Amino acid sequence: MGVYRKQIQIVGDILYAAEELTIDQNGASITNLIQKANISHSRISKILTNLVSQGLLEQIDSKRACKYKISMTGKNFLREYRTFSEFTDNFGLTI
Amino acid sequence: MEFLLENILNLVGFIIGIIIGVFAYVGYKNTGSPVLFRLTIAFIAIGIGFGIIWTGYLIDDVFLQEGKINRGLQALGLGIQTIGYFFIAFSHTIKSFFPKSRYFRSVGILPLFVLSSMNIEHIIRSFSFILLVYGAIETFVSFLEGKQKGALAVGTGLALLAFGEFIAWYSLVFPESILYSVSILLKISGLISLFLPISRLPLRKIKLDNLDEDEDEKIDK
Repeated sequence: MGVYRKQIQIVGDILYAAEELTIDQNGASITNLIQKANISHSRISKILTNLVSQGLLEQIDSKRACKYKISMTGKNFLREYRTFSEFTDNFGLTI
Repeated sequence: MEFLLENILNLVGFIIGIIIGVFAYVGYKNTGSPVLFRLTIAFIAIGIGFGIIWTGYLIDDVFLQEGKINRGLQALGLGIQTIGYFFIAFSHTIKSFFPKSRYFRSVGILPLFVLSSMNIEHIIRSFSFILLVYGAIETFVSFLEGKQKGALAVGTGLALLAFGEFIAWYSLVFPESILYSVSILLKISGLISLFLPISRLPLRKIKLDNLDEDEDEKIDK
């Protein structure tokens, strides 16, 4: 049986994917993020807009397509997300 | 001896409850997770509950010197603790605990009141025991699924608290025996076990100014 991810888990997965894919500083394309975070295109578009407006992701305009890079705030958020995710895991709960 | 152990137990419970509660609150503020909000209420309530009983013992020790705590104060403290245990159980979706049949539901709860009709303190203890057992079972199930060592420690902690609560209730049958002291020691061990995995997490000051609640709601849309 499939397990549904909560909204915050999806955000965590997108930020994690963005962090993994932005090591070279060029940013990650939407296709990369879709594959890495395992999310549909229609859903990720809305979430990416929100994450950019909140300063968790930075949008980079490239010649071919939009790319996304994790910001410092995003990195901090991801670190805290992992900490508190581990905290809830200890109680047998999901964040 | 019992008086000293009670003081230690309630002080430890107060400190651990408040630390875990504050940590969960910081997590809730930073992530907006409802699970962390429930854990905040749970552990702040547990901490306050222990704190009230500890204050009761302190008042008796310093001012009244009767050698026993005010029953009303103890019932209040235990009641607030039970609210905390309820929120831990509630986080595991408490609906799965109760049988679906209305008949079984009424029969299932009946022995609780038959056994604990002596006074409100015992009814509260019975509720605490059931909620703690439920929380322990659910946490152990999560451990079996995820093999997280932290979940094993928390599950053991909740189980020890439940067992301690049961022994405390059972010690009413044998009032002058060692049972009550054993129950207090079990509860102290349970609280320490509960705190162990949390103590490994970085308990530093965490704040994200850019994330307020309105912005969290935007993500939810």
